[in-house]
Amino acid sequence: MKNENSQKKLIEEAKKLLKECRLQRIIGFEKGSLRFTTTPLITYDAADAERLVINPFIVNNLSNFLIGLEGKTAIVAKGCDSRSIVSLIQDNKVKREDVVILGIPCAGIIDLDKIEKLTGRDRDKIDDISLNGEKVLVSFNGEQGEFAAADVLFDNCLSCDMPTPAEYDVLIGEPVAPKPPVPPQELNELKEKLPADRWRFWQEQFSHCIRCYACRSICPACFCNRCFADENKPQWLSPTPHWQDNLLFQVTRSIHLAGRCTDCGECERACPVNIPLRSLTREMYDIVNDVFDYRAGMEKESAPLMAAYETEEAEDLIL
Amino acid sequence: MSIIKKIDKKDLGKLLEEWKQNFKLLTPSLQSGIADFTEWDGKDTSFTDWYRNTVIPPKRILLPLVENMFSYSKGNEGYRLETPPLDENKQLVFGIRPCDAKAFSLLDMTFKKDYQDTYYLNHRQNTLLVGLSCNDPYASCFCTSLDSSPSDASGVDIMLTDIKYGWLVESVTAAGEELIQNTENLEEASEEDRTEAESNKQSALQKISRHIDTKDISEKLHKSFDDEAFWQQISAKCISCGICTLLCPTCYCFDINDEVTVEGGSRYRSPDSCAFSVYTKMPVENPRSDKWKRVRNRVCHKYQVYPMLFDEIACTGCGRCIRLCPVNWDITQTLESLPSSEVKDAK
Repeated sequence: MKNENSQKKLIEEAKKLLKECRLQRIIGFEKGSLRFTTTPLITYDAADAERLVINPFIVNNLSNFLIGLEGKTAIVAKGCDSRSIVSLIQDNKVKREDVVILGIPCAGIIDLDKIEKLTGRDRDKIDDISLNGEKVLVSFNGEQGEFAAADVLFDNCLSCDMPTPAEYDVLIGEPVAPKPPVPPQELNELKEKLPADRWRFWQEQFSHCIRCYACRSICPACFCNRCFADENKPQWLSPTPHWQDNLLFQVTRSIHLAGRCTDCGECERACPVNIPLRSLTREMYDIVNDVFDYRAGMEKESAPLMAAYETEEAEDLIL
Repeated sequence: MSIIKKIDKKDLGKLLEEWKQNFKLLTPSLQSGIADFTEWDGKDTSFTDWYRNTVIPPKRILLPLVENMFSYSKGNEGYRLETPPLDENKQLVFGIRPCDAKAFSLLDMTFKKDYQDTYYLNHRQNTLLVGLSCNDPYASCFCTSLDSSPSDASGVDIMLTDIKYGWLVESVTAAGEELIQNTENLEEASEEDRTEAESNKQSALQKISRHIDTKDISEKLHKSFDDEAFWQQISAKCISCGICTLLCPTCYCFDINDEVTVEGGSRYRSPDSCAFSVYTKMPVENPRSDKWKRVRNRVCHKYQVYPMLFDEIACTGCGRCIRLCPVNWDITQTLESLPSSEVKDAK
């Protein structure tokens, strides 16, 4: 019910904005072509706004589409997405006055891989999935399964710092309070491994990388006009997907994202070969938080992390 | 006349064991954490429980991620050139789906016909395909729209179809017939088994829920080629990653790179993707600098250019590009919404 009301309000707002605010476009979600999916809807037509949806499957971080756009855009943003927008504003990639943020308080996004694992059924065999507070109800073949939300939401949703956007123009729905963060299990297990074992783990993982660059393409913080991975003068890494080069790419990407990554989890979700990329980016996120007391996309007026320097900063950090 | 036998589910291990003696045997596996064809470990037949299709298409057997074309080293007597050893062992791909086997035939048109690609042929020759009919296609599958079906045997040497306690085993090619004749671990099939397999084939056909109309598709694409507004609109949400192309069973673009050290070097061939903005940028420029042109290229290459060159659509309806796309960009929606009239005065 809550989603339906929010969805109605969103459609009204979107139509109003498209009519009154001389928007170039609105970016939101519509129903996807497969069950339990949504897909980005990018349109300037008020009639299309009818197709906008809000549900626990609005997984994409749409801020990625703002980069390089001209004119004014209204955009649907969950908490994590709003942080990416703020981060893009900090980096001067997006102007605040060019975006109308339609903030969506978000109780978490459902991870279909986890649902499949728990139910033992493929997603196209499931009849219905609904998120109801702390419970997720899954029905198949007349049976119903009930799962704790914490068991079926994406890992990054479990440690979400900002379920309700702090930066918005219109908030659609009631704010959702942050929950105590769940420690990142996969990352912590990795940290407990001996360095040699950890190295073997990543060697194995990166030997599956197909270099589709979906992690980079889907990431709003990966906005370089030309990525170092595509440079050939000089060539920083081989375009041939040897595991060493795949690993080098991802480690460098994680470093480049320090202070920009909002832990939206899109890289790991987009990876078609299931490399646990968030273990790298989340570690970087935590390091940035520990060392600089900085979390990306929290404050639009503050300078980007790597563009600011305080004279009191520890000297051993700067060469 | 094909030879028809059967194999009991409990005897599958024995059959694979027998074939493993004479072939490098590849089966679906989750060894690497994702569904892929890997060399059979000699015991695991659990893939029959989970296997619908692999994430990594079997084209990777023919066009590997890293193909060493040659290496060279500098010695006292000058340069020494080393070419990779030929695949002399016969290999058998067990359980390939009809769509992916058809993809092999489509790849053959580029790499095995007028142009004979040494590296491709090296992997392709001596490769036997034992297909497994689908009885549980995905919601994203649309093979029936592309002259194929969940039990299409046209691309394989031997076809297996589910029956109650195992599979009906039918030879398709002479090589398949020979293998069946020389295999001990197969039983005679009864008339009942054949009827059951036939009925399973029919029921799988009914399970395909996604359809496209491919009639006049080349012509429609030709007409819509300059309709920038259409292509802009349908490509807006594409993020230009390489998933749909790199995991497509028929896409074959590659890039060649040299890795050079003081002592020598190697030349490698690896997959490339027309979705990338840097595609073909190494030799010259990418003629498709805008995203909408790259999206258009992928669709047109499969549904217009390939039919023009080889009289076949280079898509098998396996649905991987739909299932695996991180933004749910769906090629069937594009093909079904092609503008019917030509754009005049296009720039």
